[in-house]
Amino acid sequence: METRGGTRRLAAVDRAAAGLGLFAGQKAADALAYVPDLAAAEAEPEADAQALRALVDWCVRFSPAVAPDPPDGLFLDMTGLAHLWGGEAALVADFRRRLARNGLPMVCGVADTPGAAWALARHGDGASLCPPGRQEEVLDHLPPSALRISQAACAQLERLGLRRIGEVRRLPRSQLARRFGLELITRLDQALGEAPEALAFRRPPNPWFDRLALAEPISSPDDMARVCGDIVERLCARLTAEGQGARRFELAYHRVDGRPQTVEVGLAVGAREAARITRLFLPRLEQVDPGFGVEQVTLAAFEVEALNPRQSALTPEPAVGGGVEIAPLVDRLANRLGPERVWTSQAVESHVPERAVARRAPFSPEPPARWDPARPRPIRLFRRPEPIEATAPVPDDPPVQFRWRGRLHRVRLAEGPERIAEEWWKAPIEAASTTHVRDYYRVEDQDGGRFWIFRSGLYEAGAPTKWWLHGLFG
Amino acid sequence: MAGFRSGRLDAVRAKIAALETGGRGESESLPFGDPRIDRCFPGGRGLPLHRWHEVGGEGMEAETAAAPAAFAALLARPLLKKGPAVWIARRDDLHLPGLAGLGFPSGGLIEVWARDEAQALAAAEDALGASGVGVVFVEAQACDLTAGRRLQLACEKGQATGFLIARRPFGGGSSGTAGGSAAATRWSIASAPSQPAAGRPGLGPPRWRATLERCRGGRPGAWLFESPAAYCETEIQDDAHPLRLVADLGDRQLAPAQPARPASSPAPFPAGGQGVPRRRLA
Repeated sequence: METRGGTRRLAAVDRAAAGLGLFAGQKAADALAYVPDLAAAEAEPEADAQALRALVDWCVRFSPAVAPDPPDGLFLDMTGLAHLWGGEAALVADFRRRLARNGLPMVCGVADTPGAAWALARHGDGASLCPPGRQEEVLDHLPPSALRISQAACAQLERLGLRRIGEVRRLPRSQLARRFGLELITRLDQALGEAPEALAFRRPPNPWFDRLALAEPISSPDDMARVCGDIVERLCARLTAEGQGARRFELAYHRVDGRPQTVEVGLAVGAREAARITRLFLPRLEQVDPGFGVEQVTLAAFEVEALNPRQSALTPEPAVGGGVEIAPLVDRLANRLGPERVWTSQAVESHVPERAVARRAPFSPEPPARWDPARPRPIRLFRRPEPIEATAPVPDDPPVQFRWRGRLHRVRLAEGPERIAEEWWKAPIEAASTTHVRDYYRVEDQDGGRFWIFRSGLYEAGAPTKWWLHGLFG
Repeated sequence: MAGFRSGRLDAVRAKIAALETGGRGESESLPFGDPRIDRCFPGGRGLPLHRWHEVGGEGMEAETAAAPAAFAALLARPLLKKGPAVWIARRDDLHLPGLAGLGFPSGGLIEVWARDEAQALAAAEDALGASGVGVVFVEAQACDLTAGRRLQLACEKGQATGFLIARRPFGGGSSGTAGGSAAATRWSIASAPSQPAAGRPGLGPPRWRATLERCRGGRPGAWLFESPAAYCETEIQDDAHPLRLVADLGDRQLAPAQPARPASSPAPFPAGGQGVPRRRLA
């Protein structure tokens, strides 16, 4: 029983009550007039929602993708797993049997789309299986209210005499949209599988989580640091016991006023050493504003992976096994400077010099690509090539001298050209042009300075050639 | 008499060295494999390890630090088998394919991009003190005595060798390294004209004019180095030092510290030293 709009109404009825002619939404006074000895209980929407969540979690035994459909339904994505039960009917039967054992009656529908399954469950016979690809003919016999549309639209359809979805479908879409809004069209398409529908699947809770409730609110920096150490130690003890390590930790200080303050540290490789992780957290605690005090601390670990204890070394010779032993250093630097400021470069198979290098997180797997050592590349590559004034007597030759940053360099030796064009295969072929062709030369001036210069574009009579300095060889 | 005297001197030098290293005995060093260079370093054993070295340049190199970076990378290459390398810089213009072309295995190099000078030096100190790190390169403008001493203590704590690549920010003033420095050595590097092999077009293997301006417990010197393995497809042998001595540029009139030096030593280099101006030593 619930109170809606100042009126006591029935929120839900059980099977026996339904047999007596009661229905959900009926006024309580009317119901009591019908059935004087009605046993009514106050509706508890929050408890219902909690029970639904528990049920959704339990349903993970059938499928990993379960989405709650409040207030009283759930979607179970059983794509590709019915064969484990020996067919969809067997799966539904097993589902029903297990629920019945817990005293939960259920209705269900199985279809290609969530919308059609919903319609079948609520308005079909409660246990129908729609054959794949046949939802149209099944839906055509159901009332429009099976489309999960608002009550107003539903009532209006009813008033127009449209009692079957099939009749609605025969009307022109544009008029439907104008009269009933986009919702009807969207829901219809979703039920028929012509429009996508995203379900909010419930993810299982993170098991790597710990909380520390404090008897008294704390706010002094020393206390904050101490509880940080305590909770890290607790979670790390569990990680150690199960042979796991985590790559990200999120520490949340829950203040008295209910606002959590979170700090996060990331690690290059999975870790579970409490002292080390605490040290990463400590400099961050300055950012935490305890307000009127912190009454609870929670710590969650993410990207948990199996971490087998490594034998450090048999010999005193330090091993060069990927350099994982310097992971603590990388973590310290990445957490102090920011993770985007610590990286390892990796080769990319591209001729364009700016694209030949990609950054990756340290200790992530290295791709097999390699830079060609026989193609000399500068040790300093300018992000933007710098314009130079070059004197080249012959269009296709390297310059004899150039001026860079106000200084004149006479070219003593030169090597090239190495022609690097744009990667035309990455764009439509019509967009390819010769304007981005670069002819690179490696030149050495009279003092031995080695430069990487290029002429942009192809030679055209009359047009001035542009020269740029792109890098230094040192 | 002379033998007795030199023996006493050696004993005193060893005692001073032991005092300087804090009684930890002889520290390791990386020989260049050529006595003409190695004898300028303490004990005649080559570049001392577990210290930090300052490498800089002049003119435009003080701003771009391309030649010092290349030279430092080659100096440090034999140390990479001790552990991975960390490169800390304030500008992210280091181009790894260029280092790879010089024969520097860049797979495990960890690059750190610091926001300012203090952060760069702090990160370098952290990296030098961490266990497992082989080499730390840090591009910084200058390092005063206090910061240098901190770097030195970090070097002794970890087992890494540091290379401070002196680099002025663009448009910045001159670096004030004229004062004292806690570096074990200070180098000034400039590119030198290369000599392509006869009949080959293009550029020869890169050459650098390296001046050892200061060396703790050693003597200054100047040499012309070449990197013969640069931009070659051949596999680089690990045992050979990546830098080959082309010519000794030391001005012998100004460095009479070792009296019994064979006069013939700088001779056997026909073309390499020509065109390179003699430099006076600091």
